Amino acid sequence: MNKLSARQVYFLLACILPVGKLILLPARLADVSKNDLLLPAALHLLLQAGAVFCALLLAKRNMSLFEMLEGTLGHVAACVLQTVFALFLLFAALLPVLEQKLLVQSVFYDTLPTIASFAPFFLFAAYACSKPLASFGRMWDMLAPFSLAGYFGILLLSVGSADLAALAPTGAAGASGFFGGTMSAFAWFYDAALLLPLLGKIDYTRGMAWKGMLFYLAGGAGVLIFLAVFYGIFQETSVNQLYAFTATSKYFSGIATLGRADYLFIIVLTLVMTFSCILPIQGAIECALQAYGRKRWLAIVLSVGASLVFLILVLVLDYRFGEILAALSGVLFWIFPLFCLALPPLLLLFGRNDRARA
Amino acid sequence: MKQISGALQRDVAALKKLLPAEDILTFPFAAEGGTAFTVVFSDAVTNKELLGEEVVRPLRLLSGKPSLRAVKERVNFSEVRSEKSLKKLAEEILAGNPVLLWEGAEEGVIVGTKLVFVRAVAEPPTDVTIKGPREGFIEDVKINTSLIRRRFKTGELLLEPVTVGRRSKTIVMVCYLAGTSVEETVKEVKGKLEKIDIDYIPDSSYLTHFLSSRPYSLVKQVGTTEKPDIFCAKLAEGRVGLLVDGSPIALTVPYLLVEDFQSSEDYFVPSYRASFTRLLRLFALLVAIYLPAFYVAAQLFKLQLFPVKLLLTIAGSIRDIPFSPSLEMLLVLLVLEILNEASIRMPKYVGMALSVVGALVLGETAVSAGFVSTPAIIIVAFSGIGLYAVPNLIEQTSILRLSMLLVAGSVGTYGIVLLTGFTLFYLVTAENFGAPLMAPFSPLVKRDLRDSLIKYNLGSLPLRPKTLKSPNKRRLK
Repeated sequence: MNKLSARQVYFLLACILPVGKLILLPARLADVSKNDLLLPAALHLLLQAGAVFCALLLAKRNMSLFEMLEGTLGHVAACVLQTVFALFLLFAALLPVLEQKLLVQSVFYDTLPTIASFAPFFLFAAYACSKPLASFGRMWDMLAPFSLAGYFGILLLSVGSADLAALAPTGAAGASGFFGGTMSAFAWFYDAALLLPLLGKIDYTRGMAWKGMLFYLAGGAGVLIFLAVFYGIFQETSVNQLYAFTATSKYFSGIATLGRADYLFIIVLTLVMTFSCILPIQGAIECALQAYGRKRWLAIVLSVGASLVFLILVLVLDYRFGEILAALSGVLFWIFPLFCLALPPLLLLFGRNDRARA
Repeated sequence: MKQISGALQRDVAALKKLLPAEDILTFPFAAEGGTAFTVVFSDAVTNKELLGEEVVRPLRLLSGKPSLRAVKERVNFSEVRSEKSLKKLAEEILAGNPVLLWEGAEEGVIVGTKLVFVRAVAEPPTDVTIKGPREGFIEDVKINTSLIRRRFKTGELLLEPVTVGRRSKTIVMVCYLAGTSVEETVKEVKGKLEKIDIDYIPDSSYLTHFLSSRPYSLVKQVGTTEKPDIFCAKLAEGRVGLLVDGSPIALTVPYLLVEDFQSSEDYFVPSYRASFTRLLRLFALLVAIYLPAFYVAAQLFKLQLFPVKLLLTIAGSIRDIPFSPSLEMLLVLLVLEILNEASIRMPKYVGMALSVVGALVLGETAVSAGFVSTPAIIIVAFSGIGLYAVPNLIEQTSILRLSMLLVAGSVGTYGIVLLTGFTLFYLVTAENFGAPLMAPFSPLVKRDLRDSLIKYNLGSLPLRPKTLKSPNKRRLK
């Protein structure tokens, strides 16, 4: 159980990573890009697909990220860069954790609960992040059918209420809508960066980079379809539907008699999201372990430490989500493309010695 | 190690010194030729009639100075061995096999006239089937071995005894099909058995602790069965089985969680029916674990989960209940667990009274007195029935159900989600004897899905499960 199989990586790309884009991203894009919300999302998906392709090509070398950096830049520089990358992943994890918290507090409770209701998440994160990466691979095997069932369940209940004509005419939001949407969505698209800590642990098979990219695009197509249905249902009021995937299905005619049967799918997707939003934290811990030695106690200390830091951050930033979102899509937006769009191709270009060694 | 000296009196005295217990008897007699013999045996576990008729009577007719070979030939019994070591002879006497000594003997002769009290082979109460074999294992390892041997008339079936327990000297029969089971698994099983240093093994369940990679885990890691047909089917798939003397429950490794959703009957009915039943079992198990928890979470934190009409009914029922929903559910669940425990342990003739007390007094009266609500009783009843759809997992699921209820009462639906995530994560990381517990779902083994929760026709299952890594892959040609 030491390596991640190609299938597990495909499941991650097609079924686990897209789920995190169904909470706040649709409302955010609808706010900035209006009926053109599909365009910035599609652009991001294409860019990420390219980066995913590069990251999976790196997996061919059967070397960890740290080994690649060390081979090119030396030990000290590799340690520094690896630490910076780990910090980036922790930074990237902030949004999904806060999203998850807001979703949980709004969707699973009639009245706003205390932060204590979300606190067990950090206990879970501390446990899960101390486990080796291969355990996550097995979890993706397990979660893929859950993710598909949740996604298609929600979509089936929602699609009847959608008026897809609301998406026309394309380009109505203009260039500002497109670029504004693109900029504000960077914080949700860092999927290629999540593959980098997995390098050296992936059991590379022939054609994996292409297939991985296609699986990622398939998952991305799922996101685009959902965005279209979401905007088709809520149109101008989409901006108010913050927790998109929990809102689209409630107009299904059977809900009146069955009750909120769609909650079954919402709960299933929340389970998948719980795992997807701890991925960056797990990636950060993996990076640290690669750089500073793989020891069991260190993994436990780091996962407990990271979970505590996030608990404190969530406590401190409880009512500041708007400001955080504004910062992530404004002054800090460049951090994401730097690490997830630039780093994989750079590693491909500058790691020739590694290629020879592999 | 002290050995037989040939001086009868001295040898008998030495054996009596090793076995000072009152039930170790000696029976001296003389042969026609004048040679003095003595049989040393354990009173309670030796078949004395057989000993007299088939051993003593023919030996009395022996003339001249008897040799070891002559004594062995004269005894009318197939199970005859000889041994020099006094300690080993003493062990045989304790096992019920009398030891024959005579003046001038170089070795003691062990005669296998052991007296064994066994119950008849019957259908096990834990695994009743409508179609298919009804035999069940009993407490005697030899009879259990014969039940296996009868089903595999091949020299590939190997039965290797290992003695476990310093005092009980319990025989554990390691059973496997050579060339089908993984050699490393057999070695690992034997290695783990040999390492056990315990004085007494009352049942096979003791061994599961030593065979598990996570002995303190909530989840079981060793398969159990009381039926020889299931046991043999598992051996045929490439597993290693263990029969423990004194226990009707056989063990099999490696164990996969999905095994407990399968019944032997699934293989004797059409595959669509078997698939339906397996899915039904999974559904029943999920209902058993989650229904009380979701009911409490919905009542406490998200009433919107109920349809309006149901919500009105529930609101009417719980209006005057003095307890919080979680406490109410916890109490009813605890009562169910107590009733369950009591009904298993109490004498059968009190069972009817228990049903009356349980169903009428506790159930109906508690509702009419306003202590608990009707929906809570209905939910716990559903959950209780669901639990028994997968009887091999009752211990685990009842604990999980209580845990789910506790997190639902304190954190709500998200608590249930997190505990589910935690449980799944724990399950996918568990493996024993090289097989992941959650296979073939995680890691996904496509081929093995054909006989998991869905069952394909026999013709579509030509290969043994890939998860078990059997060197002999094909079972159907």
